[in-house]
Amino acid sequence: MSVDEHTPHHPTPAQYWKIAVVLAVLTALEVALYYIHKALELGNFNSILLILLAALKFVIVVGFYMHLRYEKPTLNRFFTAGFILAASLYTIVLTALGVVTIRGG
Amino acid sequence: MADLAHEQTMDLGHPEHESTGVDNRKLGMWAFLSSEFLFFGALISNYLLYSNRPGFAGVYPSEIYDIPFTSVSSFVLLMSSLTMVLAHNALSRNDQGGTRTWLFATAALGSVFLGGQVFEFTEFITLHDMKLTTNPAASAFYLLTGFHGTHVAIGVIMLLSLWGISRRQGELSEKHGMNLELVGLYWHFVDIIWIVIFTVVYLLSVPPV
Repeated sequence: MSVDEHTPHHPTPAQYWKIAVVLAVLTALEVALYYIHKALELGNFNSILLILLAALKFVIVVGFYMHLRYEKPTLNRFFTAGFILAASLYTIVLTALGVVTIRGG
Repeated sequence: MADLAHEQTMDLGHPEHESTGVDNRKLGMWAFLSSEFLFFGALISNYLLYSNRPGFAGVYPSEIYDIPFTSVSSFVLLMSSLTMVLAHNALSRNDQGGTRTWLFATAALGSVFLGGQVFEFTEFITLHDMKLTTNPAASAFYLLTGFHGTHVAIGVIMLLSLWGISRRQGELSEKHGMNLELVGLYWHFVDIIWIVIFTVVYLLSVPPV
């Protein structure tokens, strides 16, 4: 059926639950890192780790929950192109305005 | 009956105007979501531009964030992505009851998130006197999180509409299966935007020195 043309490749409900646990753990790590940074002043290391954790969560949701890793390359290109365009554009703008520096240090 | 058979054939992966090999509605949704990166990118950039610029009157958002509360909200929205994908999975197995249950759960979790946002805004306005026009940092914060909240609210309405259709008709038809998939894509997108907002706006923001 149209709802799930690629069903055989999609994760099972049990795998979806496991992915949710991973996402929850990553979120807990993020919050823990926030408080560790407040106590120990991790500097730029904190910013880099938080961005990496967020990126990991982002990729997991897009890949497994939005099924992008199981979709046709056309969709992947559409989505990735949009993301890269936006990220590049705003990185340039924020750099030009002097905003992009690693913060938290 | 012949029309029904025709409609079902179309929904079995052979829509009429399909030259890309991908259902046009799905391609359209992915293109729309892709363009939303630019929209939210602008709002996030706007926030970053003003969030710790010194010299504004009034309180800055980063001075009054309630991280434990927002962490719970983030967790709730993250789990709504799980219930959404379970609804999608249930429909693919033609488990109509399961689909309804998970759709409702997703809408409920989305509503809890929205309630949390209303509570947060109310606290900021009443306890900390940080209004939309207090300073550019506050404006940027409300603009960004408000637009995200609006997206969540639209998602909740779409989810409840699907749930209502399912209840009224007793099942979600093949035709509505694609609608559920599109709503699911939209919902997960709203979630990934919040993943970015939670990190960039809440966890990485520092008050001006």
